[in-house]
Amino acid sequence: MGLLAALTRGLVRGADRMAEFTSKRGSRFHNPGRGCKRIGFLRKDRKFCLIQEMIPEFVVPDLTGFKLKPYVSYKAPEGEVAALTAKQLFMDIIAPQIEKDVKNGTFDPDNLEKYGFEPTQEGKLFQLFPKNYVR
Amino acid sequence: MRLTALLAMTAGATAKLPPGYRHGTHRPGSYADKLRNPPWLRRKRVILEPLSEEDWKVFKGDTVEILKGKDAGKQGLVSQVIRARHWILVKGLNVHYRCVGKTGNYPGIYVPSEAPLMLQQVTLIDPADRKPTEVEWRYTEEGERVRVSMRTGRIIPLPEFEHPDGIVPELWVDGPKDTSEDDAVAKTYKASLKTFEEEIMERMGIIETRRARKSFWY
Repeated sequence: MGLLAALTRGLVRGADRMAEFTSKRGSRFHNPGRGCKRIGFLRKDRKFCLIQEMIPEFVVPDLTGFKLKPYVSYKAPEGEVAALTAKQLFMDIIAPQIEKDVKNGTFDPDNLEKYGFEPTQEGKLFQLFPKNYVR
Repeated sequence: MRLTALLAMTAGATAKLPPGYRHGTHRPGSYADKLRNPPWLRRKRVILEPLSEEDWKVFKGDTVEILKGKDAGKQGLVSQVIRARHWILVKGLNVHYRCVGKTGNYPGIYVPSEAPLMLQQVTLIDPADRKPTEVEWRYTEEGERVRVSMRTGRIIPLPEFEHPDGIVPELWVDGPKDTSEDDAVAKTYKASLKTFEEEIMERMGIIETRRARKSFWY
């Protein structure tokens, strides 16, 4: 069956009810938008106030001398890297410091802040729990 | 534009197929496939015997013997495998002829085209005695997963995996946008307690003293 015949077979029976009802269809006052995130709010006098902080801004550091490129060579072997866990991070960074202090005899269990312990997430810009950053 | 649509565009090769899509012999996304399977088409589901992805034994490039059908008893090379339908296309076997290129006075050429065979109608061949056998997945002493013929116990090696683009990794020459092998494999990660965002802020000298207002959600 040709393409036109197949199309007409589908359309003769009726409209496609499962199609998305976007702002292209319906009356000219039907304007639902296409799923963008909010970047401000509408005031009482129907003026839209833009909040600059809500507009995403890409912060990119200087990439001179950066060796990684968009694609990877086919010659590179396949492999897996173990996922980074909290335990692994602790053992790599903090455990040696604590070990050194214990050996010197200066380990103080009440002063764990110097190893990076955070009793609360209040006051931090990037809180770990509840996570308040996108990534 | 919708984020899902944008991501689908960038995904490209892994474009999602509609639910209930029935695989045919044409590659999904090709003109012939779009002609036969328009997006609104809903066909009855094909019933297949339940088989997990790990138990699949036949791969492209294997030699198999056909058990049932017109070419029963013949051995051939697998040219294509369509796992969604449990189909195996064997090169040159189980062919029917179709007329191609009929225009005006020219009668056209008869071209052989392979019909797909079901997984049940095909078995793998033991390379030692070149006879059909039952095959099982087993582990060697090193821990490698191999196909073992049940009759003789010989390992059937996996066929050479050919890249669909025809690229041979050993003969590949890196382009300007390719990360070299050493750079890709080099481990440059330095563990630190700072999050990625905090590190970038520190490196770029961004100081942010404002804090977000406390909010709650359930």
